[in-house]
Amino acid sequence: MSQTITRRAVLKNLAGIVGGILAMPAARTCKAAVQNALASSPAPTGYDPFKHKWLMALDVDRCIGCGLCVEACCEENGVPEGHWRTWIERYVIKKPDPASGKARGETIVDSPDGGKKGFPPLLIPKEDILKSFFVPKLCNLCDHSPCTQVCPVGATFDAPDGAVLVDGKYCIGCGFCIQACPYGCRFLNPETHTAEKCNLCYHRITRGLKPACVEICPSQARVFGDLKNPVPDMENDPLRQFIAKNKVEELKPSLGTGPRVAYAGLDEVVR
Amino acid sequence: MRAGLPCCTRENEPERKSRWNIRRCLERRGMTRLLKMPPQIIRLVLLTIGIVCVYFTARFFLTPQSFGQYGHYRADALQDIASRQPYWAGKAACVACHPDHAAKLASGEHKTLSCETCHGPGRAHVERPDEKLPKLNMSLCVRCHEASPSRPSWLHQIKVQNHYTGSLCTECHVPHQPNEVPP
Repeated sequence: MSQTITRRAVLKNLAGIVGGILAMPAARTCKAAVQNALASSPAPTGYDPFKHKWLMALDVDRCIGCGLCVEACCEENGVPEGHWRTWIERYVIKKPDPASGKARGETIVDSPDGGKKGFPPLLIPKEDILKSFFVPKLCNLCDHSPCTQVCPVGATFDAPDGAVLVDGKYCIGCGFCIQACPYGCRFLNPETHTAEKCNLCYHRITRGLKPACVEICPSQARVFGDLKNPVPDMENDPLRQFIAKNKVEELKPSLGTGPRVAYAGLDEVVR
Repeated sequence: MRAGLPCCTRENEPERKSRWNIRRCLERRGMTRLLKMPPQIIRLVLLTIGIVCVYFTARFFLTPQSFGQYGHYRADALQDIASRQPYWAGKAACVACHPDHAAKLASGEHKTLSCETCHGPGRAHVERPDEKLPKLNMSLCVRCHEASPSRPSWLHQIKVQNHYTGSLCTECHVPHQPNEVPP
């Protein structure tokens, strides 16, 4: 059998390949459009991530350490046992020894089960305590998030609305982001083997609901709002009220991460 | 029939052993300058071009379509994450059917509380009103009001053992209006 490769045949094949490559994006777009039209996604419609900018504010003086927020978060998001997307830390600062010449004594921090079931009574006698308080913690939703920068596959990202999200379908579970987070907010889900963290209850905020922890908090220690869509009346906008009334700080400002979680009433010892 | 590419046609080149003789190919096209490069370099260049082509083809097929739409991530992930169903119904859903309770709550100390803070998740009840919420346990009151040096001073705190030895907080307090005494 003679194997003749003619110029015509080669050009034909080349034209076919080039035509195929050019037609492929158009075909994929059509396929995606048809799929979107046919499949009914349970995701809420009409949410434009470019029209919102979320901010979480936490008031340390309002937190009573009941742990209901942690419980609510775990139930809302199906967080596996022994892991937390938000947790509460109890800080106990002991009275200093006058001979030491220090302003504070030893600082003891505990968070049994993330504070999920409340806190057991303190074992330290009341006379020895200089002060004690609760600090709610969660993902700091950094504007320049270290976790996003280290992700090798683009599975974690800063959404246009200020939320830092994890794409569970794309995450390879390498754990780089868990090590990169300076706030220790991430964990590897033992069931899915993907990284997980607070996503501001993205499925709730896109439906106009508050995140579970904000919804359940009995003392309004957590304030949540949209900076791009403030309540017109300043008096009724809890977020603007919070920023106006309090001296607002962020955690670890020296790292330059630009957290979108604002704290009021932080003590120096809180990290 | 027109002659094919001379270097690629076996019939025209009976003397050649290989169909893909790079040297002959380039000579016929007058690209003799390239021949000054050693053939192994030319092969290496062709191999590199091949690898790059395979890379771009593979990337085209393996990258999800929405990747890069908003940034270096899958834009469809936003939809995926948002498609989870909420667990807590939210205070607005409760107030829609129980405005009387909501008004009572708003007038008292417990006005900052959400209904589900004490009553528990109410989504099932919102969807199927016949499904009642569970009866409340008094441990809920203690969870917030048990005295602790870590709790802020504005919060009303009690030492349960010294406070009351009876069984129910509601014997003396109205949860929706803590300042009131039940009749």
